[in-house]
Amino acid sequence: MIAQLKIGSDTLKRFQSLIALLILCTILSFMTDKFFTADNGLNVLRQIAVNICIATGMTLIVLTAGIDLSVGSVLALCGAVTVGLLRNGVEIPAGDLFVGFTLLGAILGGLLCGWLLGWFNGFAITKFNVPPFVATLAMLTIARGFTMLYTKGHPISNLGKEFAFIGSGSFLGIPVPVWIAAIVVLLAVFITQKTKMGRYIYAIGGNEQAAKLSGININRVKITVYSFAGALAALGGIIVTARLDSAQPNAGMSYELDAIAAVVIGGTSLSGGKGSVWGTVMGAVIIGVLNNGLVLLNVSPFWQQVVKGGVILLAVIIDKAGERRD
Amino acid sequence: MKKYLKYIITIAAVGLLAYKSVYFKKLSEVKAKTATAFDAAGFTQKIWSEQLNTKLDSAIELTTLIKAIEAAPADAFNRHTNALAIGNYRNAMVKLNAEVKQVNEDDVLVQLPFADSMLTVKVATEFVYGNAIRDASRLVDVKDFPNTNDLNSISEELNKTVRTTILKPFKQAVKAGDKVVVTGAIEINKAHLNWSEPEIIPVRLQIVN
Repeated sequence: MIAQLKIGSDTLKRFQSLIALLILCTILSFMTDKFFTADNGLNVLRQIAVNICIATGMTLIVLTAGIDLSVGSVLALCGAVTVGLLRNGVEIPAGDLFVGFTLLGAILGGLLCGWLLGWFNGFAITKFNVPPFVATLAMLTIARGFTMLYTKGHPISNLGKEFAFIGSGSFLGIPVPVWIAAIVVLLAVFITQKTKMGRYIYAIGGNEQAAKLSGININRVKITVYSFAGALAALGGIIVTARLDSAQPNAGMSYELDAIAAVVIGGTSLSGGKGSVWGTVMGAVIIGVLNNGLVLLNVSPFWQQVVKGGVILLAVIIDKAGERRD
Repeated sequence: MKKYLKYIITIAAVGLLAYKSVYFKKLSEVKAKTATAFDAAGFTQKIWSEQLNTKLDSAIELTTLIKAIEAAPADAFNRHTNALAIGNYRNAMVKLNAEVKQVNEDDVLVQLPFADSMLTVKVATEFVYGNAIRDASRLVDVKDFPNTNDLNSISEELNKTVRTTILKPFKQAVKAGDKVVVTGAIEINKAHLNWSEPEIIPVRLQIVN
Protein backbone atom coordinates (compact mmCIF):
# COMPACT_ATOMS: atom_id res chain seq x y z
CA MET A 1 0.00 0.00 0.00
CA ILE A 2 2.80 2.40 1.00
CA ALA A 3 4.76 1.34 -2.08
CA GLN A 4 1.73 2.06 -4.29
CA LEU A 5 1.29 5.48 -2.67
CA LYS A 6 4.99 6.17 -3.22
CA ILE A 7 4.71 5.24 -6.90
CA GLY A 8 1.62 7.49 -7.20
CA SER A 9 3.43 10.36 -5.53
CA ASP A 10 6.50 9.90 -7.75
CA THR A 11 4.34 9.85 -10.89
CA LEU A 12 2.52 12.98 -9.73
CA LYS A 13 5.84 14.71 -9.09
CA ARG A 14 7.23 13.62 -12.43
CA PHE A 15 4.28 15.01 -14.33
CA GLN A 16 3.52 17.98 -12.09
CA SER A 17 4.42 20.56 -14.79
CA LEU A 18 2.27 18.79 -17.38
CA ILE A 19 -0.64 18.56 -14.95
CA ALA A 20 -0.26 22.26 -14.11
CA LEU A 21 -0.24 23.09 -17.83
CA LEU A 22 -3.37 21.03 -18.50
CA ILE A 23 -5.21 22.68 -15.61
CA LEU A 24 -4.13 26.13 -16.85
CA CYS A 25 -5.27 25.37 -20.41
CA THR A 26 -8.61 24.02 -19.21
CA ILE A 27 -9.29 27.10 -17.09
CA LEU A 28 -8.30 29.49 -19.90
CA SER A 29 -10.45 27.59 -22.42
CA PHE A 30 -13.48 28.21 -20.24
CA MET A 31 -12.60 31.85 -19.61
CA THR A 32 -11.99 32.94 -23.21
CA ASP A 33 -13.09 31.34 -26.46
CA LYS A 34 -10.07 32.85 -28.28
CA PHE A 35 -7.64 30.68 -26.33
CA PHE A 36 -8.24 27.18 -27.64
CA THR A 37 -7.71 27.85 -31.34
CA ALA A 38 -5.01 26.63 -33.72
CA ASP A 39 -3.89 30.17 -34.55
CA ASN A 40 -3.49 31.06 -30.91
CA GLY A 41 -1.62 27.82 -30.25
CA LEU A 42 0.87 28.61 -33.02
CA ASN A 43 1.13 32.16 -31.76
CA VAL A 44 2.03 30.93 -28.26
CA LEU A 45 4.58 28.48 -29.68
CA ARG A 46 6.18 31.22 -31.79
CA GLN A 47 6.41 33.46 -28.75
CA ILE A 48 7.97 30.88 -26.47
CA ALA A 49 10.48 29.56 -29.02
CA VAL A 50 13.15 32.07 -27.99
CA ASN A 51 12.64 31.37 -24.30
CA ILE A 52 12.88 27.63 -24.96
CA CYS A 53 16.26 28.11 -26.69
CA ILE A 54 17.63 30.22 -23.85
CA ALA A 55 16.05 28.16 -21.09
CA THR A 56 17.46 24.93 -22.54
CA GLY A 57 20.98 26.29 -22.16
CA MET A 58 20.08 27.61 -18.74
CA THR A 59 18.86 24.13 -17.71
CA LEU A 60 22.25 22.60 -18.43
CA ILE A 61 23.92 25.34 -16.40
CA VAL A 62 21.49 25.02 -13.50
CA LEU A 63 22.00 21.23 -13.56
CA THR A 64 25.68 21.91 -12.77
CA ALA A 65 24.46 24.10 -9.87
CA GLY A 66 25.34 27.27 -11.77
CA ILE A 67 23.35 30.20 -13.10
CA ASP A 68 23.70 32.52 -16.09
CA LEU A 69 22.33 36.04 -15.76
CA SER A 70 23.95 37.26 -18.96
CA VAL A 71 21.79 35.45 -21.54
CA GLY A 72 19.58 38.48 -22.28
CA SER A 73 22.56 40.73 -23.01
CA VAL A 74 24.38 37.98 -24.92
CA LEU A 75 21.21 37.56 -27.00
CA ALA A 76 21.18 41.28 -27.84
CA LEU A 77 24.90 41.44 -28.68
CA CYS A 78 24.87 38.32 -30.84
CA GLY A 79 21.73 39.46 -32.68
CA ALA A 80 23.46 42.77 -33.41
CA VAL A 81 26.71 41.05 -34.45
CA THR A 82 24.80 38.75 -36.81
CA VAL A 83 23.05 41.58 -38.63
CA GLY A 84 26.21 43.68 -38.49
CA LEU A 85 28.11 40.94 -40.31
CA LEU A 86 25.25 40.42 -42.75
CA ARG A 87 24.83 44.08 -43.62
CA ASN A 88 28.28 45.58 -43.17
CA GLY A 89 30.72 42.66 -43.29
CA VAL A 90 34.21 43.22 -41.91
CA GLU A 91 36.54 45.85 -43.31
CA ILE A 92 40.31 45.37 -43.26
CA PRO A 93 41.69 48.71 -44.47
CA ALA A 94 45.34 47.60 -44.16
CA GLY A 95 44.86 44.98 -46.86
CA ASP A 96 42.18 46.89 -48.82
CA LEU A 97 40.00 43.89 -48.08
CA PHE A 98 36.29 43.61 -47.47
CA VAL A 99 35.03 40.35 -45.99
CA GLY A 100 31.34 39.95 -46.77
CA PHE A 101 29.13 37.40 -45.01
CA THR A 102 26.36 35.32 -46.50
CA LEU A 103 23.29 34.58 -44.38
CA LEU A 104 24.87 31.30 -43.28
CA GLY A 105 28.15 33.06 -42.46
CA ALA A 106 26.43 35.77 -40.44
CA ILE A 107 24.44 33.20 -38.46
CA LEU A 108 27.58 31.16 -37.76
CA GLY A 109 29.35 34.37 -36.76
CA GLY A 110 26.55 35.22 -34.30
CA LEU A 111 26.59 31.71 -32.84
CA LEU A 112 30.37 31.81 -32.48
CA CYS A 113 30.09 35.16 -30.71
CA GLY A 114 27.60 33.61 -28.23
CA TRP A 115 29.82 30.57 -27.76
CA LEU A 116 32.84 32.78 -26.99
CA LEU A 117 30.91 34.94 -24.52
CA GLY A 118 29.67 31.78 -22.79
CA TRP A 119 33.20 30.37 -22.83
CA PHE A 120 34.41 33.54 -21.13
CA ASN A 121 31.75 33.09 -18.42
CA GLY A 122 32.83 29.48 -17.89
CA PHE A 123 36.50 30.42 -17.89
CA ALA A 124 35.99 33.14 -15.24
CA ILE A 125 33.93 30.76 -13.09
CA THR A 126 36.27 27.79 -13.25
CA LYS A 127 39.75 29.33 -13.49
CA PHE A 128 39.27 32.28 -11.15
CA ASN A 129 36.63 30.74 -8.88
CA VAL A 130 34.27 33.66 -9.47
CA PRO A 131 30.75 32.70 -8.33
CA PRO A 132 28.53 32.11 -11.41
CA PHE A 133 26.10 34.78 -10.19
CA VAL A 134 28.84 37.43 -10.15
CA ALA A 135 30.68 36.35 -13.31
CA THR A 136 27.52 36.29 -15.41
CA LEU A 137 26.23 39.51 -13.82
CA ALA A 138 29.44 41.15 -15.01
CA MET A 139 28.94 39.67 -18.47
CA LEU A 140 25.36 41.00 -18.45
CA THR A 141 26.72 44.54 -18.19
CA ILE A 142 29.71 43.99 -20.48
CA ALA A 143 27.63 42.46 -23.29
CA ARG A 144 24.96 45.17 -23.02
CA GLY A 145 27.67 47.82 -23.18
CA PHE A 146 29.22 46.22 -26.25
CA THR A 147 25.77 46.05 -27.86
CA MET A 148 25.31 49.78 -27.34
CA LEU A 149 28.79 50.46 -28.71
CA TYR A 150 28.28 48.20 -31.72
CA THR A 151 24.86 49.61 -32.63
CA LYS A 152 25.70 53.15 -31.46
CA GLY A 153 22.44 52.93 -29.52
CA HIS A 154 20.32 52.78 -32.68
CA PRO A 155 18.36 49.82 -34.06
CA ILE A 156 19.67 48.26 -37.27
CA SER A 157 16.72 47.39 -39.47
CA ASN A 158 15.67 46.21 -42.96
CA LEU A 159 17.58 42.96 -42.97
CA GLY A 160 16.03 41.32 -45.99
CA LYS A 161 13.36 38.70 -46.56
CA GLU A 162 15.69 35.72 -46.24
CA PHE A 163 16.76 36.75 -42.76
CA ALA A 164 13.22 37.72 -41.72
CA PHE A 165 12.07 34.20 -42.70
CA ILE A 166 13.97 32.81 -39.68
CA GLY A 167 11.74 34.80 -37.34
CA SER A 168 8.43 35.05 -39.12
CA GLY A 169 8.39 32.31 -41.76
CA SER A 170 6.65 28.93 -41.57
CA PHE A 171 7.55 25.44 -42.75
CA LEU A 172 4.79 22.82 -43.09
CA GLY A 173 2.46 25.22 -41.32
CA ILE A 174 4.68 25.46 -38.25
CA PRO A 175 6.59 28.70 -37.53
CA VAL A 176 10.35 28.42 -38.21
CA PRO A 177 11.30 29.51 -34.66
CA VAL A 178 9.31 26.53 -33.35
CA TRP A 179 11.29 24.14 -35.59
CA ILE A 180 14.53 25.68 -34.35
CA ALA A 181 13.44 25.39 -30.71
CA ALA A 182 12.41 21.76 -31.31
CA ILE A 183 15.84 20.92 -32.75
CA VAL A 184 17.54 22.63 -29.81
CA VAL A 185 15.45 20.67 -27.32
CA LEU A 186 16.10 17.34 -29.04
CA LEU A 187 19.81 18.07 -29.14
CA ALA A 188 19.86 18.98 -25.45
CA VAL A 189 17.82 15.91 -24.54
CA PHE A 190 20.27 13.77 -26.50
CA ILE A 191 23.23 15.38 -24.74
CA THR A 192 21.76 15.01 -21.25
CA GLN A 193 20.40 11.49 -21.68
CA LYS A 194 22.63 9.74 -24.18
CA THR A 195 26.13 11.13 -23.80
CA LYS A 196 28.94 11.04 -21.27
CA MET A 197 28.79 14.82 -21.12
CA GLY A 198 25.16 14.59 -19.94
CA ARG A 199 26.06 12.19 -17.16
CA TYR A 200 28.94 14.45 -16.12
CA ILE A 201 26.59 17.45 -15.95
CA TYR A 202 24.25 15.64 -13.57
CA ALA A 203 27.18 14.27 -11.57
CA ILE A 204 28.73 17.73 -11.10
CA GLY A 205 25.40 19.22 -10.02
CA GLY A 206 24.69 16.31 -7.66
CA ASN A 207 28.03 16.38 -5.88
CA GLU A 208 30.88 18.33 -7.41
CA GLN A 209 33.49 16.98 -5.03
CA ALA A 210 32.51 13.38 -5.71
CA ALA A 211 32.49 14.06 -9.46
CA LYS A 212 35.98 15.52 -9.23
CA LEU A 213 37.26 12.55 -7.26
CA SER A 214 35.79 10.16 -9.81
CA GLY A 215 37.97 11.74 -12.49
CA ILE A 216 35.58 14.09 -14.26
CA ASN A 217 37.28 17.17 -15.70
CA ILE A 218 34.89 19.57 -14.02
CA ASN A 219 36.33 22.75 -15.51
CA ARG A 220 36.08 21.43 -19.05
CA VAL A 221 32.48 20.30 -18.59
CA LYS A 222 31.44 23.60 -17.02
CA ILE A 223 33.15 25.71 -19.69
CA THR A 224 31.48 23.61 -22.40
CA VAL A 225 28.08 24.00 -20.74
CA TYR A 226 28.40 27.79 -20.40
CA SER A 227 29.66 28.03 -24.00
CA PHE A 228 26.73 25.94 -25.23
CA ALA A 229 24.29 28.13 -23.30
CA GLY A 230 25.93 31.22 -24.81
CA ALA A 231 25.49 29.82 -28.31
CA LEU A 232 21.82 29.07 -27.56
CA ALA A 233 21.32 32.63 -26.29
CA ALA A 234 22.88 33.79 -29.57
CA LEU A 235 20.44 31.59 -31.46
CA GLY A 236 17.62 33.23 -29.49
CA GLY A 237 19.09 36.59 -30.48
CA ILE A 238 19.08 35.67 -34.15
CA ILE A 239 15.41 34.60 -33.93
CA VAL A 240 14.39 37.78 -32.08
CA THR A 241 16.28 39.98 -34.54
CA ALA A 242 14.79 38.18 -37.53
CA ARG A 243 11.30 38.39 -36.06
CA LEU A 244 11.57 42.14 -35.47
CA ASP A 245 13.51 42.61 -38.73
CA SER A 246 15.68 44.82 -36.60
CA ALA A 247 18.55 44.48 -34.12
CA GLN A 248 17.46 46.45 -31.09
CA PRO A 249 20.19 47.58 -28.67
CA ASN A 250 17.84 46.93 -25.75
CA ALA A 251 16.64 43.52 -26.96
CA GLY A 252 16.52 40.67 -24.47
CA MET A 253 16.09 42.83 -21.39
CA SER A 254 15.18 40.54 -18.45
CA TYR A 255 14.96 37.47 -20.72
CA GLU A 256 17.23 35.73 -18.21
CA LEU A 257 14.43 35.93 -15.67
CA ASP A 258 11.96 34.23 -18.00
CA ALA A 259 14.54 31.54 -18.75
CA ILE A 260 15.27 30.92 -15.06
CA ALA A 261 11.52 30.90 -14.38
CA ALA A 262 11.00 28.23 -17.07
CA VAL A 263 13.78 26.12 -15.57
CA VAL A 264 12.40 26.44 -12.04
CA ILE A 265 8.76 25.87 -12.98
CA GLY A 266 9.94 22.88 -15.00
CA GLY A 267 11.20 21.29 -11.82
CA THR A 268 14.97 21.66 -12.20
CA SER A 269 16.54 22.13 -8.80
CA LEU A 270 18.50 25.37 -8.40
CA SER A 271 20.99 23.45 -6.28
CA GLY A 272 21.83 21.30 -9.31
CA GLY A 273 21.80 17.63 -10.24
CA LYS A 274 18.03 17.24 -10.63
CA GLY A 275 15.77 18.19 -13.48
CA SER A 276 15.34 17.75 -17.21
CA VAL A 277 15.15 19.63 -20.47
CA TRP A 278 11.58 18.38 -21.01
CA GLY A 279 10.62 19.91 -17.67
CA THR A 280 12.04 23.23 -18.80
CA VAL A 281 10.06 23.02 -22.04
CA MET A 282 6.93 22.51 -19.92
CA GLY A 283 7.95 25.48 -17.77
CA ALA A 284 8.42 27.68 -20.83
CA VAL A 285 5.05 26.57 -22.23
CA ILE A 286 3.37 27.31 -18.88
CA ILE A 287 4.85 30.83 -18.83
CA GLY A 288 3.88 31.36 -22.48
CA VAL A 289 0.32 30.12 -21.96
CA LEU A 290 0.00 32.19 -18.80
CA ASN A 291 1.19 35.35 -20.60
CA ASN A 292 -1.10 34.64 -23.54
CA GLY A 293 -4.09 33.89 -21.33
CA LEU A 294 -3.62 37.05 -19.29
CA VAL A 295 -3.41 39.14 -22.48
CA LEU A 296 -6.55 37.49 -23.90
CA LEU A 297 -8.34 38.17 -20.63
CA ASN A 298 -7.32 41.85 -20.87
CA VAL A 299 -5.46 41.74 -17.57
CA SER A 300 -3.32 44.82 -17.00
CA PRO A 301 0.39 44.27 -17.84
CA PHE A 302 1.24 45.30 -14.28
CA TRP A 303 -0.95 42.55 -12.87
CA GLN A 304 0.53 40.11 -15.38
CA GLN A 305 3.94 40.59 -13.79
CA VAL A 306 2.49 40.04 -10.32
CA VAL A 307 0.76 36.83 -11.42
CA LYS A 308 3.88 35.53 -13.17
CA GLY A 309 6.00 36.18 -10.09
CA GLY A 310 3.41 34.43 -7.94
CA VAL A 311 3.46 31.34 -10.17
CA ILE A 312 7.27 31.15 -10.01
CA LEU A 313 7.17 31.43 -6.22
CA LEU A 314 4.50 28.74 -6.02
CA ALA A 315 6.57 26.44 -8.25
CA VAL A 316 9.63 26.83 -6.03
CA ILE A 317 7.58 26.25 -2.86
CA ILE A 318 6.08 23.03 -4.33
CA ASP A 319 9.55 21.92 -5.44
CA LYS A 320 11.05 22.56 -2.00
CA ALA A 321 8.15 20.79 -0.28
CA GLY A 322 8.74 17.81 -2.57
CA GLU A 323 12.46 17.81 -1.72
CA ARG A 324 11.68 17.85 2.01
CA ARG A 325 9.27 14.91 1.60
CA ASP A 326 11.97 12.96 -0.26
CA MET B 1 44.39 5.98 -40.15
CA LYS B 2 40.94 6.44 -38.61
CA LYS B 3 42.23 9.50 -36.77
CA TYR B 4 43.55 11.06 -39.99
CA LEU B 5 40.24 10.40 -41.73
CA LYS B 6 38.45 12.21 -38.90
CA TYR B 7 40.75 15.21 -39.28
CA ILE B 8 40.31 15.29 -43.06
CA ILE B 9 36.51 15.16 -42.79
CA THR B 10 36.52 17.91 -40.14
CA ILE B 11 38.79 20.16 -42.20
CA ALA B 12 36.69 19.55 -45.32
CA ALA B 13 33.47 20.39 -43.45
CA VAL B 14 34.96 23.58 -41.98
CA GLY B 15 36.33 24.55 -45.39
CA LEU B 16 32.95 24.01 -47.04
CA LEU B 17 31.19 26.04 -44.34
CA ALA B 18 33.73 28.85 -44.69
CA TYR B 19 33.38 28.79 -48.49
CA LYS B 20 29.60 29.10 -48.16
CA SER B 21 29.86 31.73 -45.43
CA VAL B 22 32.18 34.47 -46.60
CA TYR B 23 33.24 36.25 -49.76
CA PHE B 24 35.99 38.74 -50.41
CA LYS B 25 36.07 42.04 -52.27
CA LYS B 26 38.34 45.03 -52.55
CA LEU B 27 37.46 47.46 -49.77
CA SER B 28 38.04 50.49 -52.02
CA GLU B 29 35.44 49.20 -54.50
CA VAL B 30 32.87 48.54 -51.78
CA LYS B 31 33.51 51.99 -50.26
CA ALA B 32 33.08 53.66 -53.64
CA LYS B 33 29.69 52.01 -54.06
CA THR B 34 28.39 52.96 -50.61
CA ALA B 35 29.99 56.40 -50.37
CA THR B 36 26.72 58.21 -50.91
CA ALA B 37 25.56 58.71 -47.32
CA PHE B 38 21.97 59.68 -46.70
CA ASP B 39 21.44 63.44 -46.86
CA ALA B 40 18.64 63.93 -44.33
CA ALA B 41 18.62 67.75 -44.67
CA GLY B 42 18.39 67.60 -48.46
CA PHE B 43 15.71 64.90 -48.40
CA THR B 44 13.64 66.85 -45.87
CA GLN B 45 14.02 70.12 -47.75
CA LYS B 46 12.78 68.39 -50.90
CA ILE B 47 9.65 66.90 -49.33
CA TRP B 48 9.03 70.15 -47.38
CA SER B 49 9.05 72.31 -50.48
CA GLU B 50 7.61 69.90 -53.03
CA GLN B 51 5.19 67.52 -51.32
CA LEU B 52 4.19 68.61 -47.86
CA ASN B 53 1.94 71.50 -48.91
CA THR B 54 -0.39 69.14 -50.75
CA LYS B 55 -0.67 67.00 -47.63
CA LEU B 56 -1.39 70.06 -45.48
CA ASP B 57 -4.05 71.28 -47.91
CA SER B 58 -5.80 67.92 -47.75
CA ALA B 59 -5.54 67.55 -43.95
CA ILE B 60 -8.73 66.45 -42.24
CA GLU B 61 -10.56 68.81 -39.87
CA LEU B 62 -9.78 67.83 -36.28
CA THR B 63 -13.45 67.76 -35.30
CA THR B 64 -14.27 65.55 -38.29
CA LEU B 65 -11.50 63.16 -37.31
CA ILE B 66 -12.73 62.94 -33.72
CA LYS B 67 -16.28 62.24 -34.87
CA ALA B 68 -15.05 59.62 -37.35
CA ILE B 69 -12.99 57.85 -34.70
CA GLU B 70 -15.87 57.88 -32.25
CA ALA B 71 -18.24 56.47 -34.86
CA ALA B 72 -16.04 53.77 -36.41
CA PRO B 73 -12.57 53.67 -34.86
CA ALA B 74 -11.01 50.92 -36.98
CA ASP B 75 -12.09 52.47 -40.25
CA ALA B 76 -11.15 56.00 -39.17
CA PHE B 77 -7.70 54.98 -37.99
CA ASN B 78 -7.16 53.07 -41.18
CA ARG B 79 -8.25 55.91 -43.46
CA HIS B 80 -7.02 59.02 -41.68
CA THR B 81 -3.99 58.03 -39.61
CA ASN B 82 -0.58 56.56 -40.21
CA ALA B 83 2.22 54.95 -38.20
CA LEU B 84 5.65 53.66 -39.17
CA ALA B 85 6.11 51.71 -35.96
CA ILE B 86 4.14 48.86 -34.43
CA GLY B 87 1.98 49.88 -31.49
CA ASN B 88 -1.04 51.86 -30.44
CA TYR B 89 0.21 55.29 -31.46
CA ARG B 90 -1.16 56.64 -34.74
CA ASN B 91 -0.57 60.02 -36.34
CA ALA B 92 -2.80 62.20 -38.46
CA MET B 93 -2.43 65.52 -40.24
CA VAL B 94 -5.29 67.73 -39.00
CA LYS B 95 -6.55 71.26 -39.57
CA LEU B 96 -8.53 73.55 -37.30
CA ASN B 97 -9.93 77.09 -37.32
CA ALA B 98 -9.81 78.36 -33.78
CA GLU B 99 -9.43 81.32 -31.46
CA VAL B 100 -6.38 81.79 -29.27
CA LYS B 101 -7.40 81.47 -25.64
CA GLN B 102 -4.05 81.70 -23.94
CA VAL B 103 -0.41 82.14 -24.95
CA ASN B 104 1.96 80.19 -22.71
CA GLU B 105 5.71 79.87 -22.67
CA ASP B 106 5.70 76.39 -24.22
CA ASP B 107 2.37 76.30 -26.07
CA VAL B 108 -0.65 78.19 -27.26
CA LEU B 109 -4.12 77.10 -26.19
CA VAL B 110 -6.78 77.56 -28.85
CA GLN B 111 -10.51 76.91 -28.73
CA LEU B 112 -13.01 75.83 -31.33
CA PRO B 113 -16.63 74.78 -31.17
CA PHE B 114 -17.20 71.05 -30.96
CA ALA B 115 -20.54 69.35 -30.37
CA ASP B 116 -22.34 71.51 -27.79
CA SER B 117 -19.26 72.95 -26.12
CA MET B 118 -15.79 74.31 -26.83
CA LEU B 119 -12.82 72.06 -27.49
CA THR B 120 -9.48 73.31 -26.21
CA VAL B 121 -6.44 72.29 -28.22
CA LYS B 122 -2.81 72.73 -27.23
CA VAL B 123 -0.54 73.91 -30.05
CA ALA B 124 3.06 73.10 -29.20
CA THR B 125 5.33 76.08 -29.76
CA GLU B 126 8.46 75.12 -27.85
CA PHE B 127 9.00 71.37 -27.60
CA VAL B 128 8.67 70.00 -31.12
CA TYR B 129 10.12 66.52 -31.00
CA GLY B 130 9.23 62.99 -32.05
CA ASN B 131 8.04 61.48 -35.29
CA ALA B 132 4.49 62.88 -35.44
CA ILE B 133 5.03 65.19 -38.43
CA ARG B 134 7.00 62.61 -40.43
CA ASP B 135 4.46 59.85 -39.79
CA ALA B 136 1.35 62.01 -40.21
CA SER B 137 2.61 63.34 -43.56
CA ARG B 138 2.65 59.82 -45.07
CA LEU B 139 5.58 60.95 -47.21
CA VAL B 140 8.13 58.53 -45.79
CA ASP B 141 8.09 54.78 -46.31
CA VAL B 142 10.00 52.73 -43.79
CA LYS B 143 11.01 50.26 -46.52
CA ASP B 144 13.07 52.92 -48.28
CA PHE B 145 15.46 53.30 -45.37
CA PRO B 146 18.11 50.77 -44.50
CA ASN B 147 18.45 51.90 -40.91
CA THR B 148 16.32 53.63 -38.33
CA ASN B 149 18.97 56.27 -37.82
CA ASP B 150 18.31 57.71 -41.28
CA LEU B 151 14.58 57.50 -40.71
CA ASN B 152 14.86 59.35 -37.41
CA SER B 153 17.07 62.02 -38.92
CA ILE B 154 14.16 62.98 -41.22
CA SER B 155 12.03 63.66 -38.15
CA GLU B 156 14.82 65.70 -36.62
CA GLU B 157 15.12 67.82 -39.76
CA LEU B 158 11.34 68.29 -40.09
CA ASN B 159 11.07 69.32 -36.44
CA LYS B 160 14.01 71.68 -36.81
CA THR B 161 12.42 73.32 -39.86
CA VAL B 162 9.16 73.81 -37.94
CA ARG B 163 10.99 75.30 -34.97
CA THR B 164 13.01 77.75 -37.03
CA THR B 165 10.71 78.77 -39.86
CA ILE B 166 7.17 78.32 -38.49
CA LEU B 167 7.21 78.79 -34.75
CA LYS B 168 9.62 81.70 -34.42
CA PRO B 169 7.52 84.28 -36.36
CA PHE B 170 4.26 82.86 -34.96
CA LYS B 171 5.36 83.19 -31.34
CA GLN B 172 6.36 86.79 -31.93
CA ALA B 173 3.00 87.72 -33.44
CA VAL B 174 0.35 85.64 -31.67
CA LYS B 175 -1.81 87.03 -28.85
CA ALA B 176 -4.96 85.97 -27.02
CA GLY B 177 -8.11 86.54 -29.06
CA ASP B 178 -6.41 86.02 -32.43
CA LYS B 179 -8.19 83.87 -34.99
CA VAL B 180 -5.83 81.20 -36.28
CA VAL B 181 -5.75 78.36 -38.76
CA VAL B 182 -3.58 75.54 -37.50
CA THR B 183 -2.47 72.61 -39.59
CA GLY B 184 -0.31 70.01 -37.95
CA ALA B 185 0.25 66.52 -36.71
CA ILE B 186 -1.63 64.88 -33.90
CA GLU B 187 -0.57 61.68 -32.15
CA ILE B 188 -3.42 59.47 -31.00
CA ASN B 189 -3.19 56.47 -28.70
CA LYS B 190 -5.65 53.95 -30.12
CA ALA B 191 -5.99 52.15 -26.82
CA HIS B 192 -6.60 55.26 -24.71
CA LEU B 193 -8.58 57.87 -26.60
CA ASN B 194 -8.56 61.18 -24.80
CA TRP B 195 -9.89 64.34 -26.41
CA SER B 196 -9.28 66.54 -23.42
CA GLU B 197 -6.82 69.19 -24.63
CA PRO B 198 -5.23 67.23 -27.49
CA GLU B 199 -1.81 68.46 -28.61
CA ILE B 200 -0.98 69.46 -32.17
CA ILE B 201 2.55 69.73 -33.51
CA PRO B 202 2.06 72.59 -35.97
CA VAL B 203 3.42 72.59 -39.49
CA ARG B 204 1.49 75.55 -40.85
CA LEU B 205 0.21 78.44 -38.71
CA GLN B 206 -1.79 81.40 -40.00
CA ILE B 207 -3.17 84.33 -38.02
CA VAL B 208 -6.33 85.37 -39.89
CA ASN B 209 -7.74 88.31 -37.90
